[in-house]
Amino acid sequence: MPKPKIKICGIQSDEEVLIMNREKPEYIGFVFAESKRKVDAKIVCDLKKALDKHIKTVGVFADQPPSEVLNIAKICNLDVIQLHGRESINDIKKIKEQYDKEIWKSIAVKEKKDLQKAFDFDQNSTILLDSFSEQAKGGTGYCFDWNAAKNFSESRNYVLAGGLTPDNIVEAIKKLQPAIVDVSSGVETGGKKDQKKVKEFIRRVRTMKTSSYFLEFGGQFVPESLMNPLKELEKQYEAYKDDQAFKDEYLYYLKEYVGRPSPLYYAKNLTRHFNGAKIYLKREDLNHTGAHKINNVIGQLLLAKKMGKKKVIAETGAGMHGVATATGASLFNMECIVYMGEEDIKRQEINVFKMRLLGATVVTVSSGSRTLKDATNEAIRSWVANAEDTFYVIGSVVGPHPYPTMVRDFQKIIGEEVKKQIAEKEGRQPDVIVACVGGGSNAMGIFYPYLDLPDTKLIGVEAAGKGIETHEHASAFAKGRVGVLHGMKTYLLQDQDGQILPAHSVSAGLDYPGTGPEHAALFASNKATYTSITDDEAIEAFYLLTKIEGIIPALESSHAIAEGGKIAATLSKDAIIVINLSGRGDKDIHTVAELERSQTNEQN
Amino acid sequence: MNRINQTFKELEKEKKTALITFVVAGDPALDTTEEIILAKIEGGADIIEMGIPFSDPLADGPVIQASASRSLKSGTTIKAIFEMARNIRKKTEIPLVFLVYYNMILQYGTKRFINECYGIIDGLIIPDLPFEEQKELIADLDQNQTALIPLIAPTSKNRIKDILENHKEHGFVYCVTTMGVTGIDVTFHKDLETYLRQVKEVSQIPVCAGFGVKDKEDVRRLSGLVDGVIIGSAIVNQIDAQGFNKESLRIFIEELKK
Repeated sequence: MPKPKIKICGIQSDEEVLIMNREKPEYIGFVFAESKRKVDAKIVCDLKKALDKHIKTVGVFADQPPSEVLNIAKICNLDVIQLHGRESINDIKKIKEQYDKEIWKSIAVKEKKDLQKAFDFDQNSTILLDSFSEQAKGGTGYCFDWNAAKNFSESRNYVLAGGLTPDNIVEAIKKLQPAIVDVSSGVETGGKKDQKKVKEFIRRVRTMKTSSYFLEFGGQFVPESLMNPLKELEKQYEAYKDDQAFKDEYLYYLKEYVGRPSPLYYAKNLTRHFNGAKIYLKREDLNHTGAHKINNVIGQLLLAKKMGKKKVIAETGAGMHGVATATGASLFNMECIVYMGEEDIKRQEINVFKMRLLGATVVTVSSGSRTLKDATNEAIRSWVANAEDTFYVIGSVVGPHPYPTMVRDFQKIIGEEVKKQIAEKEGRQPDVIVACVGGGSNAMGIFYPYLDLPDTKLIGVEAAGKGIETHEHASAFAKGRVGVLHGMKTYLLQDQDGQILPAHSVSAGLDYPGTGPEHAALFASNKATYTSITDDEAIEAFYLLTKIEGIIPALESSHAIAEGGKIAATLSKDAIIVINLSGRGDKDIHTVAELERSQTNEQN
Repeated sequence: MNRINQTFKELEKEKKTALITFVVAGDPALDTTEEIILAKIEGGADIIEMGIPFSDPLADGPVIQASASRSLKSGTTIKAIFEMARNIRKKTEIPLVFLVYYNMILQYGTKRFINECYGIIDGLIIPDLPFEEQKELIADLDQNQTALIPLIAPTSKNRIKDILENHKEHGFVYCVTTMGVTGIDVTFHKDLETYLRQVKEVSQIPVCAGFGVKDKEDVRRLSGLVDGVIIGSAIVNQIDAQGFNKESLRIFIEELKK
């Protein structure tokens, strides 16, 4: 889950504005309700003149008539209206109709049942949890009983307020996982904002170690031999991910070598075909090496370089991650070994040849189901043996912490670009985003920047293979249970005893019995929806896109196209849907040709 | 007192090193496993480690992987393994220890699994459960009955103290001697002696070493350093290569004990 954003509340003076400009919280709050920190519209307009334009402004009101709230909001051009009294759903509706910006509604928490009130308000208004007080409507300076709100973040994103200080903020975030934290008296000395305290509060939030869990999913279930190598990786990653020089280098290669930003293409013919929502395709297939995989590989190899590792290993299913890793290793002059299942080597001849051309050693894995799952086992075993000098480049948002977080961070550029591109083209954000899910890195990459925009529906598409009612599919959410594999706790296809079941999909890249733990958390908390598409439906979409748009999609991405088409057909023409076209289909030509041949033979 | 610690206490009196021998339950079938275990006891094994076969044994090399997959092919289930263990327990008081991957415990139900262990199984080795992830299990586990056996690796270094924090009374410490998976084609870690000595210094429970122990020579080398030696792949290999023969297995174990 992302680190929370910060709001510093109760700003009253130019001196305090200067502190805010220096420390840069995401939000600051002006109190228009009765309070010792009360300001008026004129003061706020003056204060805003000196305020950094990137900091959003929140106006705090309590039981004031909607007309007054609206009047002040418009004069001050507030980004957020925070209602801190007993405002009704109707009041909020009235305000929303005339002022189309964010609304935060506070709920005073005394005990667990108070949280039920949150569900009276729809997802359009953000909930703020504050301490209950007989006297005041907020700003009590005291914490409420955090145990009462322990699992609240599973049901919705919210703002946490009430008695936060630099000393308790880390514990609060760990326990409650709020989306935004709101502080006022906790960063004051003598009733005024204290720069040292503000700085410390912000530093503690921003440098917090990323949790190894997404709700109850994730973790580090690995042999002891890997624990210190994982801790070292975590430490280095935490250090470099916010390092400007590192970020610049990563972005440099993504732009100049990978060819980013990848286009967001309006698929006119596809849209016409389904006769519903406007369909946009995020063209990850146009990246160098033909899929989204390279984004992550560049990130991890740059990190490997910083850590002084000269050898890298990787697992691969369809071969796209293997090719990307071999490519990066050749670019950065590293030794590269790729583990690949025997079954996949047969299916993906061209990619195997490419990896060898690029100088990588491809190791055939003949254990278990001889696909991605077993290639991953073998790569982990090899890493256990060589962790002291080898970097393991995991290709999806799977594996032990920090991999699911790190891979997602290196892929989130997909969603960040979509956010900008769609705003330029349509002036708004999409209604639906669709992506295929094997381990789930392309999906996590496009979903992640949208997690704080509940109006955009996120849909992950698993492979239904020959049908989820058969035993030959890869739909962990439809048919799996929570368990532990490859270092993580997540949804897995398994039998009663916990033996992992072989997955099946026509696309090697989706042929995985589990999903990344962050997807498991999104699934469990209903923040994303997961569906599945059969082999036949995916193949049909493969032909369709090829014929009417002249784009040959990867069989993995064809699952997203098929689902996207189904959804588009049910939506009105002014709806917008973005499908992540995660890779190109050149590698699958062989599989599709084989299928055609066997069908012709059957007919004869 | 837990059977494990009883055994170590007696061995200490005689100044002997414990020999802990491994077998995958159900390879080639569960009734053979019982015979294998009885032959090992006759040969002088002090503790029996029994592997519950898992489809994805991350910490195991090719020999034990193959053994586990033979076992699964023959239809071995956890239920049947418990049944067999209860049978063995009727015949002997030797300490029995499970090697089990965490998912198997989770799917069986942690409490149900633990309850079935009590009285029969004296220790649990869970190769994919580092101390950070042990809280849930430990909360439910009466270690006096069934001890959680902590694993330490040559790279553990600064972690050793934390690992042993919850293990001061029961069971033993399992020190992995190689960087890598179980097997016979591996070599001991270059800093083996220093590393084992370091663990010995900190640990309040017996220290045993395993992974990559091939033969009598290896057993002798480790005996001077630790309280027990664990031998797995080499025995699985011996049985697999020659077919199970009670007499030759007994002699093989006897030789290792000398």
